[in-house]
Amino acid sequence: MKNILAVSGIVIKELYRRKDFYVLFILTVLLCLVMASVNIFNDKNIIRYLKEICLLLVWIASLVIAITTTARQIPAERENRTLFPLLAKPLTRSQLLLGKFLGCWLACGLALLCFYLFFGLLASSREHYWPLVNYFQAAALHWVMLGVVIALTLFGSLVFTAPSSNATICFVVVGGILLLGRHLNKVALPLPEPRRSLLYSLYYAIPHFELFDVRDLIIHNWPPIAWRVCGLASLYALAYTAVFLIAACMIFRRRALN
Amino acid sequence: MNANPYRLPGLLLIALFVLCFGLAAHLDLWFQAWQGNRSQSANPMGVLLGDSRRMFANHFFVKADAYFHSGYYPSVFDNREAFRTPHMAEDTGTVGGHNQGDELGFLGPPRDWIDAFSRQFFPSIHTHLDEGGARGKAAPSGDLGESSGVREILPWLRLSAELDPNSVQTYTVTAYWLRQRMGKVAEAEQFLREGLRENPGSYEILYELGRIFAENHNDPARACNLWELALRNWQKLESAKSDPDKFLLMQIVSHLATLEEKQGNYRQALVYMQLWKEHSPEPARIQQRIEELRQKLQPPSVGKAEPRLKAGT
Amino acid sequence: MKQTNLAESAEPVIEIRDLCVTYRGRGRGQSDRLAVNNLKLTVQRGEVFGFLGPNGAGKTTTMNVLLGFVNSSSGEAFMFGANVREPIARQRIGYLPELTYYYKFLTAEELLRFYARIFGIPRPEAERRIDAVLKLVELETVRKRPIKTYSKGMQQRVGLAQALINDPDLLVLDEPTSGLDPIGRMKVREIIQRLKNEGKTVFFSSHELGEVETVCDRVAILHQGQLKVEGRVADLARQHQCNLEQLFLKVIGYN
Repeated sequence: MKNILAVSGIVIKELYRRKDFYVLFILTVLLCLVMASVNIFNDKNIIRYLKEICLLLVWIASLVIAITTTARQIPAERENRTLFPLLAKPLTRSQLLLGKFLGCWLACGLALLCFYLFFGLLASSREHYWPLVNYFQAAALHWVMLGVVIALTLFGSLVFTAPSSNATICFVVVGGILLLGRHLNKVALPLPEPRRSLLYSLYYAIPHFELFDVRDLIIHNWPPIAWRVCGLASLYALAYTAVFLIAACMIFRRRALN
Repeated sequence: MNANPYRLPGLLLIALFVLCFGLAAHLDLWFQAWQGNRSQSANPMGVLLGDSRRMFANHFFVKADAYFHSGYYPSVFDNREAFRTPHMAEDTGTVGGHNQGDELGFLGPPRDWIDAFSRQFFPSIHTHLDEGGARGKAAPSGDLGESSGVREILPWLRLSAELDPNSVQTYTVTAYWLRQRMGKVAEAEQFLREGLRENPGSYEILYELGRIFAENHNDPARACNLWELALRNWQKLESAKSDPDKFLLMQIVSHLATLEEKQGNYRQALVYMQLWKEHSPEPARIQQRIEELRQKLQPPSVGKAEPRLKAGT
Repeated sequence: MKQTNLAESAEPVIEIRDLCVTYRGRGRGQSDRLAVNNLKLTVQRGEVFGFLGPNGAGKTTTMNVLLGFVNSSSGEAFMFGANVREPIARQRIGYLPELTYYYKFLTAEELLRFYARIFGIPRPEAERRIDAVLKLVELETVRKRPIKTYSKGMQQRVGLAQALINDPDLLVLDEPTSGLDPIGRMKVREIIQRLKNEGKTVFFSSHELGEVETVCDRVAILHQGQLKVEGRVADLARQHQCNLEQLFLKVIGYN
């Protein structure tokens, strides 16, 4: 475990020493403040459009951070040849991979904390109340979803040679599932066999990221989700994370590094 | 004499270039005639987005309805029969409704366990913002200042109007919510005037402006002028159509009739009621009111003004 | 205890048995390449062992197998009696690669602290060792600067520092003097000599035959994946009546 934590510490250091997070955070803040300054029929209490824009930016930024940070971990180690002195230590490849995953996930968690803190401040500036339970659930589900995305990207970084192609494919896959994942079964039902079975198989196989996208509940002030349901969703995410990580470990262990 | 090996390919290249240039010049003229010159537009959004801005405008108009439902809204994959006319527009009484089917259950029963489970993570209950929204706290009836939920649809309506200033219903729907539920009469009037600048002579906007003067500014004379102008414009634009907008016509003439009746101009009121009865789905009810009005006319008094407009003109 | 020590001292530090490594051809028409062919080698405790050969002889491949970067096609390799496939085999070694690149966003101190943590060195001991190795490689004054600001020579010294952080019993060096100026090369030779005096084992590959002749106890010369010559430098010189460079050229068929 200490090796995994050591590697994860390096990843976190890398994130806060690179410019990515700061650029995205400042961009988000600026865009939200500009949107907040718009006069809409002299009503200063309109907030939901602002919440939606802010949460959309948070989601985009978090996916960019998660995918781009993760996609370059192993390829950059190989390209920069930092992998060799590292693996020459008593560190297994699985520990390295898990350390990278944990580091990326924790780093994204810290980034999410900053983003959601800003979101909370922005929303409370007009709503004048703090639905802490709702915000906590939204942030927690978001973070758990990012775990699956990071594991998927890590797996992709061992399958695809170039980080850019891995990142692009991951963006497309994650974006596609977020937009269409919920509706695949509706599309599948009227289709003839075997297309119906194929699409339904895909529907069951993909990780349903949209389960963790509770923006509409936050924007429109719906009551919090039952904790049991949140727990089940987290287990669902954990299962997919484990699958992708195990697959990645199996590939990495067999990969020749030379 | 040695032939230059590059001569023939060079000539071919030049010939192709001339052909392409000529074709482009010819097609551009045809395209301009068909599409119009977009660069003449002063609106940067119009230049940037072109006709797709109308698509975006419609998208944001529908988004306002999604906000009206606190996020509970059918996607393109769901049955949208009950949402063909946005509810936040239909509720204003400014547009006719074309909705059919069950608005409460467009989702239907869950098709599988993922579908059932996922309904915990997005809005899956039908609500309206002006009836309390997601938390169920309805504004006290008649308390215009406390309709805190409905304000949330305004940004999208505003954006929709910016993108497509020629969509009249955006102005009328927005004006209704501003005026009726938020008490922002001045803002509603200003917005309608903006709409009138973009759509000169629009009878829908004139009608709504008339309502502001009648119901909020207590200026029946101006209201009457506006509604009469609206009626004239309607007759100019709609009466020749095979399927005229009778919904708005009835709104205009019913308000004119009521206003004239209140002002004591019974004959004028009768003219409007006749017109109303012609297009109403409940002519018997209108006829009853006409009878009541005729009784008020008896005995005829000296000095009453002659009707300004005849029915059917 | 004495028996265990004796047993320990008798056991070779590195033992390679019938090692074969084959690289598969990547494209169509590309046949498999035999990089290392039935290599048998042992390195005893306290030796400075030079691993020589022309480019493409299989030196780096052999080192990659020892370090666990590449799996052997057949045969086994052991370090301190542990199979090289086990991470525990690398607990007591330090490795300096030929091309030294480290995390540019870290400082030298942070990098050494990270590696010390992987070795499981307790924090107070790790701090003490970091101070010692940075002093040894003369990077004390720049320890808090990010590595991206270092020159090539400084990066090479950071590499040496990270190879020594765990006070290794075996040091594996891949072309340690490559790219260094004469002063840098001299310092590396001094460090190797010092380690030898402390009873450590050094296993390194190099093209600088003059240096090898000076510091090494034993050498092995590889050519086309096969071990051609192995033995003490002095014995080989006497046996073949020539210096190491001449012997090298003779072995690889260039004479």
